[in-house]
Amino acid sequence: MQMIRPWASEYDEYRRDESRSTGEAESISFPTCEDELRSILSELDPATPITVQGARTGLAGGAVPHGGHVVSLVRMNAYKGLRQAADGAFFLRVGPGVVLSELRRHLHAKSLPAHGWDDASRAALEALYAGPEQFFPTDPTETSACLGGMAACNASGARSYRYGPMRPHVSGLRVVLPNGETLALRRGDVCAQGRALELATEQGTTMRVDLPTYVMPRAKNASGYFIADDMDAVDLFIGSDGTLGIITELELALMPAPRVTWGVNCFFEDEGHALDFVVRARPALDCASAFEYFDGAALDILRTTREDGAAFASLPEVPDAYRACVFVELECDGETQAMEALRELGSLLEEVGGSERDTWVARTDVDRERQRLFRHAVPECVNILIDRRRRVTPSITKLGSDMSVPDERLHDVVDLYRRTLAEAGLESAAWGHIGNNHLHVNILPRDEADFAAGKDLFRAWACEVTAMGGAVSAEHGVGKIKRDFLLTMYGEAHVDEMARLKAAFDPTGRLNRGNLFDEARLDAAVGEPDGIEEAAR
Amino acid sequence: MNIVVCVKAVLGSTEVKMDPKTHTIIRDGGEAVINPFDAVALEVALRIKDERRSAGEACTVTVLSMGIPVTEKLLRDCIARGADAGLLLSDRAFAGADTLATTYALSCGIARLGVPDLVLCGKMAVDGDTAQIGPELAGALGIPCAVGVTGLPAVTDGTVTVRRESDAGVATVDVPLPAVLTVAKDVAELRMASIAGILAAEDAEISVLSAEAAGADAARIGLAGSPTQVVRSFVPEGDARGVEITGDAAAQAEQVVEVMRGMAL
Repeated sequence: MQMIRPWASEYDEYRRDESRSTGEAESISFPTCEDELRSILSELDPATPITVQGARTGLAGGAVPHGGHVVSLVRMNAYKGLRQAADGAFFLRVGPGVVLSELRRHLHAKSLPAHGWDDASRAALEALYAGPEQFFPTDPTETSACLGGMAACNASGARSYRYGPMRPHVSGLRVVLPNGETLALRRGDVCAQGRALELATEQGTTMRVDLPTYVMPRAKNASGYFIADDMDAVDLFIGSDGTLGIITELELALMPAPRVTWGVNCFFEDEGHALDFVVRARPALDCASAFEYFDGAALDILRTTREDGAAFASLPEVPDAYRACVFVELECDGETQAMEALRELGSLLEEVGGSERDTWVARTDVDRERQRLFRHAVPECVNILIDRRRRVTPSITKLGSDMSVPDERLHDVVDLYRRTLAEAGLESAAWGHIGNNHLHVNILPRDEADFAAGKDLFRAWACEVTAMGGAVSAEHGVGKIKRDFLLTMYGEAHVDEMARLKAAFDPTGRLNRGNLFDEARLDAAVGEPDGIEEAAR
Repeated sequence: MNIVVCVKAVLGSTEVKMDPKTHTIIRDGGEAVINPFDAVALEVALRIKDERRSAGEACTVTVLSMGIPVTEKLLRDCIARGADAGLLLSDRAFAGADTLATTYALSCGIARLGVPDLVLCGKMAVDGDTAQIGPELAGALGIPCAVGVTGLPAVTDGTVTVRRESDAGVATVDVPLPAVLTVAKDVAELRMASIAGILAAEDAEISVLSAEAAGADAARIGLAGSPTQVVRSFVPEGDARGVEITGDAAAQAEQVVEVMRGMAL
């Protein structure tokens, strides 16, 4: 069967992703295993650009094609094996096309597809089923995301407050380089010496790479390559937006699922009180796994959409006096600990001007589901609002920020948002991961002038957030949409270093062109492959 | 105004597993929740309470259940959401009760609470699906009953006005108090508990009564008081075989008709 298929209208959905931007390509393939992928790479003209796609749920345009060929990894969705370490921890190997919601379902139901597993994996599986439930903690809002894509953009989400992003939960990777050679990386096996990294492919090529010299911010960050002294090679590929190689297998570090999970929506009449609460609650609540935020405008939109009926009519009514909401998720060993945390949370609320009465506590699946609906309804309602406006002005879209700052700058960044939005006279709604000082401020343009003003504001915020020691993209990645912000954050010289690093792995610059760098910068770096040395086989 | 809400603990999971040997539901580890219909009944009661209290009248909501001791936790959850008190009838002697014996036990509990103005039940329980408790309770208490109430009831001067749907259509009914209402599922969503409510519920006293303390006649409760008994339960055998239908449209239609005849449709 022909693996490289010429483009046809039936593949048009593969021209876009959730960023709502669109690209073009001439052919597409759907490999089911690494060998097929390598065969496809060898068949393609070496100059053909290749865009790698997962579930296309990304918000930065990373999977939007840039001409040439599209490789969709959705059919590389096998569960490949399981191992149990001496300390009892479980590690699951999966293909990049495995979808997060399915992984969760299989882990919860203890029903992992184990066809073709070897005896060691089957023994580990028996041990996994005999023990307490295991889970994979990374929790991006979009559960139809696939694991390969999540690794490529270092996805995070609400629970990254407690568990960090995807990165620490990936213990190994298999990667196919643009030339078809393969890397098998297990965390801890290959580390840089300072900023010099040496890698050996399974085909016997040794690569020596000089890593960029920048220092990453202390804030939650998905902006450009992860670079640190003595870093693990696995970390170079996580969050690389698919620019260095194609992830063909991941080993995921599983964790015991929390025994008790309670969710608490805390409502405030004043945004300042909500921020004070977060600042005080973070160090006080050891068992908090998430702090999420919804501002007054987001709550207003939710109220309006709820009154319109339809899907959100079952949401609990949010009184008009509430102008801010902080959702706290508590993960505890038992209900006694959860009650203690709830008492602590109540005291903190009273201290900052909130009230124990103005809360919704979910302790049952039914209530947790309603809280989940509430959290998901806010962005959905905003999308509905923007879609209505696009009927009048089709050229506008929602403008959503993804910036983070260090803990001590939370009040400052919110002040910045409020002041500049008011000055520009723009309508907005903000929500997101306030535990990580990472709000998605969404500008809701009413016309093209608002749209242009919103883009200007984002550029200004990128400068200010960088000055605060923050990151221009905290979780969505840079993709094709935030390249300019990456320049703002790191400056020309460091972004050139990144481009040269890419050229070391991808000497013709064919892989995921357009991600992280514009073509001119990439082509310049490809022309001068600095910092790499390939030893003889 | 005194309102009693009858609640039943049911399995929270929608993925009910059957023991292949005993053919009974595997309950180990499953989270018990308030029967969803009873949750609606509780919300209806709380809204009536809010309304009466904002009109300056006294109104209390008491939740009543017959169940194993851990059901007390569910009653505490009801208090956290706004109920004022809870009464649990818990005794091995209540075990194995059919709807008649359950109704009798509940009526004994209600007798201990004094004369209620309104008794609210869910239309039915999601595990038993009988929809008998409400009407039987009304019979036991000798008061009127409206079943399958589909709108929020309005209470005025000794009467409750309800909207109910039946196969014949929709009716608005004035029911003199005291009365029993059973509530359909979509009337309202049970409110969530607040931290303040949960902390208050932790300290609330839940009355737990044995059969004797409830003044129940031993011959009318549990298995002994149940004229209906489950003789056998089984999981129907699945048959996923298909029938291939071929030929042109007319021939296929004829074959479909034959299949339907075979199913006695």
